[in-house]
Amino acid sequence: MEIVRMEKITKVYPGTVALKNVNFTLNEGEILSLLGENGAGKSTLMKILYGMTEPTSGDVYYRGEPIDFRRPVDAIEKGICMVHQHFMLVPAFTVTENIIAGSEPGKNGFVDMKEARKVVKDLISQFKFNIDPDTKVENLSVGEQQRVEILKVLYRKADIIILDEPTAVLTPQEVDDLFIILRRLRAEGKSIIIITHKLKETIALADRVMILRDGELIRDDVDPSEVSTNELSEMMVGREVDLQERHPAKNIGEVALRVSGLTVEEDGKKKVNNVSFEVKAGEILGIAGVEGNGQTQLIEALTGLRRVNSMELLLNGEKISGTSNKFLRAGIAHVPEDRTSMGLVKEMSIKYNLILGYHREDDCCDSRGILKRKDIEEKGNRLKTQFLIKAPSVDAKIEELSGGNQQKVVIARAFSHDPKAIIIAHPTRGVDVGAMEYIHQQMIELRDKGAAILLISADLDEVKTLSDRLLVMFEGEIVSETMPGKLSDIEMGLLMTGGRSMIEGEL
Amino acid sequence: MMIDVDMALIISILASTLRRTVPLLLAATGGSFSMRAGVIDLGLEGMMLAGSFFSIMGTWLTGSLWIGLLFGVVSGVLFSMLHAVMHINYKVNGSISGMAVNLLAAAMTPLLLTIVYGLSGKSEIVESFSNFDPDWLMNIPFIGPILASQNAIFFIAIALVIISWIFMFKTTFGLRMRMVGENPHAASAVGLNVKGYKYFGVAMSGALAGLGGAYLSLGQMGMFVKDMTAGRGYIAVVINAFGRYNPFGALAGSAFFGFFDALQTIFQSVLPSQLVMMTPYVVTILVIVFGLKGGRAPAGTGKHVED
Repeated sequence: MEIVRMEKITKVYPGTVALKNVNFTLNEGEILSLLGENGAGKSTLMKILYGMTEPTSGDVYYRGEPIDFRRPVDAIEKGICMVHQHFMLVPAFTVTENIIAGSEPGKNGFVDMKEARKVVKDLISQFKFNIDPDTKVENLSVGEQQRVEILKVLYRKADIIILDEPTAVLTPQEVDDLFIILRRLRAEGKSIIIITHKLKETIALADRVMILRDGELIRDDVDPSEVSTNELSEMMVGREVDLQERHPAKNIGEVALRVSGLTVEEDGKKKVNNVSFEVKAGEILGIAGVEGNGQTQLIEALTGLRRVNSMELLLNGEKISGTSNKFLRAGIAHVPEDRTSMGLVKEMSIKYNLILGYHREDDCCDSRGILKRKDIEEKGNRLKTQFLIKAPSVDAKIEELSGGNQQKVVIARAFSHDPKAIIIAHPTRGVDVGAMEYIHQQMIELRDKGAAILLISADLDEVKTLSDRLLVMFEGEIVSETMPGKLSDIEMGLLMTGGRSMIEGEL
Repeated sequence: MMIDVDMALIISILASTLRRTVPLLLAATGGSFSMRAGVIDLGLEGMMLAGSFFSIMGTWLTGSLWIGLLFGVVSGVLFSMLHAVMHINYKVNGSISGMAVNLLAAAMTPLLLTIVYGLSGKSEIVESFSNFDPDWLMNIPFIGPILASQNAIFFIAIALVIISWIFMFKTTFGLRMRMVGENPHAASAVGLNVKGYKYFGVAMSGALAGLGGAYLSLGQMGMFVKDMTAGRGYIAVVINAFGRYNPFGALAGSAFFGFFDALQTIFQSVLPSQLVMMTPYVVTILVIVFGLKGGRAPAGTGKHVED
């Protein structure tokens, strides 16, 4: 049965048309995947449904009646709730407090905590969420925090749950758990919309797929069981996209980066334990592993950001140690794990972000330490064109860009300085398919120019497609070295979660 | 005989401790409202000073102690609203708008002294709150004489601390106010009026700081002296952080500071007075250096929904 219908929705922002005459329907008890690249208009469409913004023209019907939400609260009252990508939680509050705040049980102005805890406990057991209602949210993992967000929505008796990029911040295990929860919610009669650009997840989860491109509805009746990820990405991007095809290295050279005996201790625990490996020039070495198994420490050690207990790092035979600046100068570039916290200064303009870390070099700075503004501007424009960074000008602030374009700025900065070796972490996290394809192409190009690339990614597909050789990391140790494609996903998964002995036993 | 003398000394130090605790306690409790609603409490000094002056003026004008006290409270609220409007509506950095209140009060009160009384430095003397010393209280050993040398505002202050705690941690309004202070976006997303709660928190800080200021003037000397808060509002800011933005924490912190303040009376005969008068400020610095570790201000302090 149809529960929501949106007719001929158009939304015009100053300068752009975000949505053009889009029709949308949602049926009761289905999981609808709203697919599209960044800027395709999927978030805007949902914001209209949720009352965060109003359409320029068009009508919204809920259970057959026309509605006109002015504020999200109006939508919540009708049972339309949103789980935001950036969680709306209070870390210092308990799970229960977070869930009830704003519509607390109780009388005479006092909160009835006993009743609140009971209601929350019942909800948790009804949906098998496995969370302690009395823990503080700051002590929960990201996946658990998301469950608290979903509980908040269920507590408010939501019939329609909109999830904005729900898997962007989750580990693969947490994604599986989330899908189990969402299917359970569907079984309870809830209607679910997930806004996403992840194709595999769409196919695994959705009952129906709706695709937006540049503010226009492309299809709203795709049956995920009848399409491949390639077909979906073609509909989404509007052309053929090459994400799965491998481009093996043709001319692998000498060993460029040699790491031996790397150990990092943190809080008395060995996060990286006596790791040694080498990366050859013109090769991509991939490191697969579930996040939190020492990758962060490894990356920071190899870029000089962290003090290590022991490590010998040779770049083309020369020993490198000291501060991160020394590593950078020696020619080890870095694409950090989290572009917003480590890779960029989001309040600063594109052109200055493009020289960060390299700002002391001759093309940016004269001998007296004064920045060469003209040269920086020129360089910015050159890189913006070369790396297809979509922005009004190089003076635009980073925070005004989409995730994919932000990442292109990081990539442009690292790649344009002819690194001998480069440590690349999660290069396509949270970027859309088009940008992902572009970044992959750039990495392959850099490799073929002779750079030694170390790729660390939680995205198994990405590591498998790009790497020429593959290491698996588990609890701070390299548990396997293999060639991509040699092991199945299940075998890889076992290695990544510590099931080495099992596999070896079977082989 | 020796023991009797020491006992009397202890009683007098403790009584003095409580008297010096009250203004700090009221201001710090006020500050906890402001901070819990996510607005920094740096304007306490100015709100206190306003309370000191206007409570005396109120009593001078009307002849009533209680109306004077009300003047003190209301003036604290009015001064706090300057902070609130600048910070909440116009998004001025809260530390700066708080300092603006302090500067305004520091400049305005001497000016008004001249205009209203034609005096510089201090006001005319009015009636002041007398000690609450019924016979039955005096007869309780030890505690009796300590409490008997307190006035009505002391008892009001203690009651306010308890009420404030219940309000913050047991009521719906308190939970919501704390949510605003921790994460204004989340609060707004569940339909709370973020600005309203922030205004309320700031107004409460003004009211309580104004009352604390009134205690200094109307509660003790019966007159206003230029700069009579002498940094107590700033000390209250530290106490509030020290007490983890909790009224009971403020009580403990204020008593701690009040005690060191009271010790002055003993050391004054032994040490040079300049050194002795430094005590509360030295303790403040020590607390800032050693006492604020592990404490955490509400996460949404200074944040606006529109950010």
